[in-house]
Amino acid sequence: MQLPARPQVYLLVWVGLLALLALTILAAYARLGAYGTALHFTIAATQAALVMLFSMHLASAHPLMRAIALIGFIGIAILVLLTLLDVLTR
Amino acid sequence: MAEGVLAIQPQFDDARQQRAASNLGIWIFLATEVLFFGVLFAAYAITRIRFPVAFAQGGQLTDIALAGTNTAVLLTSSLSMALAVHAASRGSKRTLVLLLWTTVLLGCAFLAIKGVEYREDYLEHLVPTLGFAHPGPGESQVELFFYLYFLITGVHALHVLIGIACIATIAVMASRGRFSPSYFTPVDVTGLYWHLVDVIWLFVFPALYLVSRS
Amino acid sequence: MNGAAIAPAGSYLGEGWDARSWFTTLDHKRIGILYTAAITLLFGIGGAAAALIRLDLLTPHSELVSLATYNKLFTIHGVIMVWFFLIPSIPATLGNFLVPMMVGARDLAFPRLNLFSWYLFVAGGALTIYALVSGGVDTGWTFYAPYSTSYANGYVYAVATGVFIAGFSSILTGLNFIVTIHEMRAPGLTWFRLPLFIWSMYATSLILVLATPVLAMTLVLMGIERFAGIGVFDPALGGDPLLFQHLFWFYSHPAVYIMIVPAMGVASEIISCFARNPVFGYRFMAYAILAIAAFGFVVWGHHMFVSGQSAYAGTVFSLLTFLVSVPSAVKVFNWTATLYKGRISFEAPMLYALGFIGLFTIGGLTGLFLASLGLDVQLHDTYFVVAHFHYIMVGGAVMAFFGGMHFWWPKITGRMYPETWARSCAVLTFVGFNLTFFPQFIVGYLGMPRRYPEYPPEFQVWNVLSSAGAAFLAFGYALPLFYLLWSLRHGPRAPANPWNAKGLEWQTPSPPPVENFPVAPTVQEEAYAYRSGEAGHG
Repeated sequence: MQLPARPQVYLLVWVGLLALLALTILAAYARLGAYGTALHFTIAATQAALVMLFSMHLASAHPLMRAIALIGFIGIAILVLLTLLDVLTR
Repeated sequence: MAEGVLAIQPQFDDARQQRAASNLGIWIFLATEVLFFGVLFAAYAITRIRFPVAFAQGGQLTDIALAGTNTAVLLTSSLSMALAVHAASRGSKRTLVLLLWTTVLLGCAFLAIKGVEYREDYLEHLVPTLGFAHPGPGESQVELFFYLYFLITGVHALHVLIGIACIATIAVMASRGRFSPSYFTPVDVTGLYWHLVDVIWLFVFPALYLVSRS
Repeated sequence: MNGAAIAPAGSYLGEGWDARSWFTTLDHKRIGILYTAAITLLFGIGGAAAALIRLDLLTPHSELVSLATYNKLFTIHGVIMVWFFLIPSIPATLGNFLVPMMVGARDLAFPRLNLFSWYLFVAGGALTIYALVSGGVDTGWTFYAPYSTSYANGYVYAVATGVFIAGFSSILTGLNFIVTIHEMRAPGLTWFRLPLFIWSMYATSLILVLATPVLAMTLVLMGIERFAGIGVFDPALGGDPLLFQHLFWFYSHPAVYIMIVPAMGVASEIISCFARNPVFGYRFMAYAILAIAAFGFVVWGHHMFVSGQSAYAGTVFSLLTFLVSVPSAVKVFNWTATLYKGRISFEAPMLYALGFIGLFTIGGLTGLFLASLGLDVQLHDTYFVVAHFHYIMVGGAVMAFFGGMHFWWPKITGRMYPETWARSCAVLTFVGFNLTFFPQFIVGYLGMPRRYPEYPPEFQVWNVLSSAGAAFLAFGYALPLFYLLWSLRHGPRAPANPWNAKGLEWQTPSPPPVENFPVAPTVQEEAYAYRSGEAGHG
């Protein structure tokens, strides 16, 4: 896998992550209800994507690594969704 | 093994194959960690959906300031780790060692802040089986929230501790000149693990501390 | 007995025979043998539990063991057979030995992880046996909460920890196989030239690494809940016992594919060799293996139809379960088609493989009966279920395991086993198996519940037939242990390719040298390049 040519990429990512952190904390006090939850997890997913694509070099890695990186989340999604299918329809 | 010299293990044909195998191996391991933690998230999500009010109450009792600070600490430790891997790839030994120990320090800071948080929770009677009390209806569901809260943050903290131990070991190896631009796989692999611990926390934080806070 | 008596110097068996050479080995072939020894011992213990169960069930009242002991017997039988025999069986024994050889590599990607995985397995097994001799567990191998978390007495922590540790052994094995298959194939060995055994090891490994972590955390949740006295499965707190079942079966259903997919891989190797035909529909067979692994992750709710799970979820799971049977059926049709116009010979491995096809088909078909919501209401928790999964696990997986052991015995040991004994045992096992488990379909349909030590007198005839069959089965399993060990000293020495089979593992001496191939192989032909008219074994 290729490392980014310049370390400045990591600094930029770090700044972005902290900005998103500030945003998500502010959003917690904004009384957004269910939209708030969706927003929090969208921000978290974006932060995770930044870390995985850049700090963990997935952007320049073999597609197989990207598939493996995703498969765990997909498995948990299946677990949660099908279990909720039961819990919510009892 | 000589300083920084790449030793190709006998089962591999060449350095490229060894690197590819190590990389694939660590990513598979990281996938297992995602699934391992994912079960806790699943249990939390499903239980929360069943008790939205009690879990919102519980969430509001968590210390967002300490946890928010901790998130920033962990994100910064990820930065120092990423820069460390970069330094390793450039052969900058001194920078590498410095950055690795910085990461260790930040990891320890995370655990220290967590310790402060736990102590605070204990004093506020929020620790299940250790004098938990939250008078009112739904007390047992709030207790359920904190049961999961301690379980999730506890398992995460354990992974942070393991990460610190690994990075410290790598730091010692680095100071002895074991790595070079042609061989720094252990640094890279440890870095990936550390970043995953960070990614997991990025989901733990909103799930426990932020959702339905207001 | 020493290595030189068994095998010529220059082979991996000739490289030392002391404890150090075995217990610190990094050679995947020796580690495969270490695993074989460990699971044979554990199979014996699990089988002894089964023997006691079948003896106790000879009479309608439990006269051999107390009711409490009976619960411990079926629990330990399940725990050991699932986690300490079936799940490791083909992958950790034949897989460890053959995966590097079939891809043309010198070893697996991570030999030290491989040895570590064996030690983890032994540690987990030891802890579980400790729990057994200390008094056992009576929760059933399924550990349902809140019984396991709140009410069961016994060594729940020890068994759960033993299984947890063994789980990591599985994960490491799976990780090793995936990396090896991706990165260490010989030149010319493209994905669609791989033997189907490798495809099956690959798919099994995917399930191992993706499902087992879920089991690990589920066991942690169960253990902590038991310890803390509060938790997410406890109805008194508003917790949900079904949450445990969802988490448990999310792993445990894919686990059954961990047990059967390797057997399917073995079957493809044996059937093509002894029919002298390429496997019919190779690509469909490979895709079917992957489809089984993938679909296996979305059907777990069929274990919970009558648990209180919603009918809507039940319907979805039922539909998905019907879908997962399709790739399995494709495989059965293709094995049968592989036989068509073949030059079939009936060596012991082929007898086991043919038995596998028939028994797996019956097991799979009865799975469809159970997947039907209405039928399952009647059949759930009866002996019909017990018979269904034993047809697949024992009639399928264990038959294939024995078939594979015989097929590759010459390669592993450099000796031929005695063919007449082996054929007789294959037939004895097949007869004994059907006598043991077919009556269980009947008595289950008639209403006999599983996990019960007592039953109405009108069921006795079926139970007696089943127990009689179990006696034959015990012989069928025990005898190979004796004649295979006998062959190590007295069997004729095996040539490199006694079956004239295709596959890289047969291109190297029997037993192989430590590095597997004196010269790294390159692959130029398709898999199963059996040509009609070409002679079989000589």
